[in-house]
Amino acid sequence: MAQALTSRWPRARDGISPWLFLVPAVAFFVGYQVYPIFRVVWISFTDYQFLTNEPARWVGLDNYAVALNDPLMWVSLWRAFLFTMMFLPGTIILPLLLAILIDRVTSPRLATVYRVILLIPAVIPSTLVFVLWKWMYNYQVGPINHILVEVLGLFTVHNAPQWLGGTSLTLPSIAIMEIWWGLGYHTIFFLAGLAAIPKELPEAARLDGANEWQIFWHVTRHGLQPIMMILIVLRFGTSMAVIDEYLIFGGFNRDSPTYTWTIYMYDQAFKLGMWRQGFAAAIGMIGAVVMMFFVAILLYIFRRRG
Amino acid sequence: MARAAQLEELGTAPPLSAGEWLRLNRAVVIRHAVINLFMVIILLPLAWVLLMSVKSLPDAMRGNLWPRRFDFTHYGFVFTKIETLPINLFNSIYVTAATVLITTICAVLAGYALVHLRPRGGPFVVAMLLASLYFPTRVVSIISIYEIQSFLGLINSTSGLILPYITLNLAISVLIMRSVFQLIPHELMEAAKIDGAGPWRTLWLVGLPMARNGLVVVFIVNFVTAWGEFLLCTTLTNDQTARTMPVVLAGAQGGLGQWAWPRLAAVYVIVVTPGIIAFTFAQKLFFKGLAEGVVKA
Repeated sequence: MAQALTSRWPRARDGISPWLFLVPAVAFFVGYQVYPIFRVVWISFTDYQFLTNEPARWVGLDNYAVALNDPLMWVSLWRAFLFTMMFLPGTIILPLLLAILIDRVTSPRLATVYRVILLIPAVIPSTLVFVLWKWMYNYQVGPINHILVEVLGLFTVHNAPQWLGGTSLTLPSIAIMEIWWGLGYHTIFFLAGLAAIPKELPEAARLDGANEWQIFWHVTRHGLQPIMMILIVLRFGTSMAVIDEYLIFGGFNRDSPTYTWTIYMYDQAFKLGMWRQGFAAAIGMIGAVVMMFFVAILLYIFRRRG
Repeated sequence: MARAAQLEELGTAPPLSAGEWLRLNRAVVIRHAVINLFMVIILLPLAWVLLMSVKSLPDAMRGNLWPRRFDFTHYGFVFTKIETLPINLFNSIYVTAATVLITTICAVLAGYALVHLRPRGGPFVVAMLLASLYFPTRVVSIISIYEIQSFLGLINSTSGLILPYITLNLAISVLIMRSVFQLIPHELMEAAKIDGAGPWRTLWLVGLPMARNGLVVVFIVNFVTAWGEFLLCTTLTNDQTARTMPVVLAGAQGGLGQWAWPRLAAVYVIVVTPGIIAFTFAQKLFFKGLAEGVVKA
């Protein structure tokens, strides 16, 4: 208590100075994240348009009513969810398996080499990952179709799979690309979690005659639970709100499985001639709320388990 | 399994026949085989694009994986014959350097202040930063960011991209620096204060040297994001000369002429290599920083 009193004085005296350090970060944060979000919320209640000179009119919940009665809204949300379900299991299970294997590598030099290779995809910037895989999946020169057609002979040039461009294969193709991208990064996360488990625990279990699977299920799994929860929540959120990949691989065909709520919003805001920003903002808010609703459920389930 | 592990640890196993060795070390062999399979999967797409960049043009059209004739002239060609390439490359370097620099400065100052200066409203700022990570801000805010940029006259301006780029990773960068500064004992900072150092000198002389690993993480994270940003760049600029290199690459249709496949691949290799090389050199610091900053945050 006495300490609290003495430390109160200097803090009150230079109460301005700490904020000098915070101002740059907070200014950018408010200007380009907090304000834009509240602005979009406001826009979603109006008939706002960039291109007209007339001031935006308040239309209440009209945009939301139109969006919620629009089958495309629900279809586009469902597509985002579908993609998440294709992506999430692979991006958790494969790195988990790989991390358990690498954790047992005894040679420190080899372990370092593996770690460096693992993080290489993570330091490739997003767009360059998409460009690389756009070429991998390319119909003409892509190595995937080359192997399927020329090497394995499973297809001919005429019926070779069309991976991208809004076909039914496009969402799985993007999911595979995303799993590749996150493989190393997530493995590093799990490795950090494994390193935190005391080595005596699995050793003791092994001496008690537990097999590898039992050790994983009863010992390792509990140690990794916090990291697994963080990864599931974070990746669920990001994969529900994917947009760049769909813009590059899918385009603006409404029948394409890549036409999710993010693309629907972008299409309304920037691509269609009329530029209905008010309606687009409502789509964006609905998508964001649905995403956060699921994230909240996940957080609730995980919180109860500890 | 247990015996194989013992032998592996001893390192001086009695002489064994190859078959017997394999039988005893089966688990080890399978483990390394699986790990290496994953490593190959990670590296193969990159190896393919590297190979593509040195293929002769007819080989590229045929699509053979291994070329009949190598051609190393594509790298020279893309620099001398594609007029927009140096411009786009310059745009990328300029925007990324400015973004990384400004974001890092903001993050260091804010992280330091939040931990060691304890400003009023600090916890509220932290809560807001955390909350922003759970909202799809980047996607939804694009509508009003377009409005802001057009109000400021920054549509189609390369420099204008820097402003929204700074905020893309600002929240996570501040949080990383905050947890790095939390590792520095408060007494150390107090000691500097008692010696008469002001908050700026304390940060510069005591805080920064100890926050080095976290700085590397913030640097790399921001570099990767700014170097490869697509959504904002494609929305806020129209002319190819205002855009960054990856966005131009994403729009390029492979085919003939200056965008023939090996030439595209050469551009790709030029754009992707700096990050990988920088990371390989900094990996030790990066992993330490990751342990200090991200895993705790």
